[in-house]
Amino acid sequence: MENSEKMINRIRQENIHPLPKSVFQLKRLLIGIAFTGALLLGALAFSIILFAIQQTDFSVIQHLQHSRLEFFLGLLPILWLSALILMLAVGTYSAYYTGKGYKIKWTKRVLLNTLFSILFGTLFFISGGARKLEQAFAIRMHAYESIQEKKLKIWMNPEAGFLSGSVESIQDSTLNLRDFNNKIWLVNLRGAFIAPVLSFETGEKVKMIGQMTDNTHFNAQELRPWGGPEQRHQKK
Amino acid sequence: MPYGKSACEQLSDLQIIQYSLIELDYFSCLYDRYEQRLLAYIKRTLSVHSEEAEDILQEAFIKIWRNLNEFDQQFNVSSWIYRIVHNEAISYARKKRSFGKNNIVGNETVILQIPADDADQSLAETEAVQILQQHLNQLPQQYRSVLLLRYMESMSYEAISDVLKLPEGTVATQLNRAKSALAKLIGKNPFKQ
Repeated sequence: MENSEKMINRIRQENIHPLPKSVFQLKRLLIGIAFTGALLLGALAFSIILFAIQQTDFSVIQHLQHSRLEFFLGLLPILWLSALILMLAVGTYSAYYTGKGYKIKWTKRVLLNTLFSILFGTLFFISGGARKLEQAFAIRMHAYESIQEKKLKIWMNPEAGFLSGSVESIQDSTLNLRDFNNKIWLVNLRGAFIAPVLSFETGEKVKMIGQMTDNTHFNAQELRPWGGPEQRHQKK
Repeated sequence: MPYGKSACEQLSDLQIIQYSLIELDYFSCLYDRYEQRLLAYIKRTLSVHSEEAEDILQEAFIKIWRNLNEFDQQFNVSSWIYRIVHNEAISYARKKRSFGKNNIVGNETVILQIPADDADQSLAETEAVQILQQHLNQLPQQYRSVLLLRYMESMSYEAISDVLKLPEGTVATQLNRAKSALAKLIGKNPFKQ
C-alpha cells in the first residue's frame, strides 16, 4: 500500500475533517483586531503623554533641593508610558501574524508602529482629544491620579515653595490669591519674575515659585500662568 | 487511488487543494507529488531514519488536511506545505530531545542523497557527501534549514522566507552565516585533503 493511501485511510478511519473556513477567518479577524487595536491605543497613549508633558512643568525640578530624581519620576505619566510600550509590543508581535507581516524585520515593525503612534497621537493631541480622554479616564477610574491632580499636588505645596490659585485682586505689588482649596493668600510680587502673558484679571489662574513667610503670606520669585487649555480659553 | 496518477499530473497544486475539499481522494495527489522531496528534506534536516521521516510526513499531511481551508492564495502552495512539514519536523525533534533520545541517525546516512542511478557517482563523492552531512548536523538548526532549502531544495529567498517565516534580508544574512559556519567546520575537517 502506498503511503498516500495509508494517509487517506487514516483520515477516513479517524474521521478527520478540515477545520471550517470560519475558524481561520475568526483567527485572522482577532489578529487584525489586536493589531489595529494596539496601533490605535498606542496612538492614544502617546497623545496623553504629550498632554502630560504640556501640563507638567519639568522646570520645577531645578528649584528642588532634594530628591530630584524621585520628584521627576513622580511627574512622569508612568501609566501612559507603560501603556504605550505595551501597545507597541502587542502591535509589533501581532503584525508578524498578519498576512505577510513576517516579511518585515522586527526592528522595522517597531519603527513603523512607533511612527504611527507619534503621528496619530500628535494629531489627536492637537485636536484636543487627549485632554478630553484623560479627563474622562479620571472621572471613570477612581484609582487613577489624573494629570491635573498630579499638577495640583505639586503646585499646592506652599511649604515647599510652590503655590497656585486664581487672582482675586492686585494692589501695588501685593496679589490677593485664592488657592484651589479656597484659602486666601497675600502674595508679595516685589522683585519677582512675572511672565508677560499674565494680565492679573480676576479669576485668572496662576502658579508661582517662592517662599511661604507665614500661614497666609507668600513671597513670589517667579509667577507664571497656570497653563493648559483652560488658560487659553480664559483669554478669549 | 480511483483517479490515477495521470489525472493528478494534469492538476495544479491549487486545483488539488480545491478538489480535495470536495473529494478526499484528490488529497493523495498532493502527497504523491511532494512525498519524495519532503522525505528527503526531513531526513536532511533531522538526520532521522526513513521510517521516522515517513511518520513525520504523515503527521504533517494530516495537519495540512486539517488546515486546508487556511490556505491563502497569496502564498505559494509548495512554500505552505514546506512550512507545515518544516514545523512538524522541528517540533518532532524538540519532543525527541525532551524525551532524551539521541537524534543522530545510525547507519542510514542517506541525507544528502546522490541519485542511486547516477553512473558517475564515485565512492569519493559519496564519502564527501557523508562528511558534508556530518558537518551540516553540527550546525544550528536554523542554519541547516536555510542551507538545505537554498541548495538542496533550490528555493528562492522569497520562498525560504515563506517557509521559515523570516524576512528575506534575514534569510540572506542567515545563509551567509551558515555558509561561513560550514566553511569553518570543513576547514577543521581531518579528512580534508
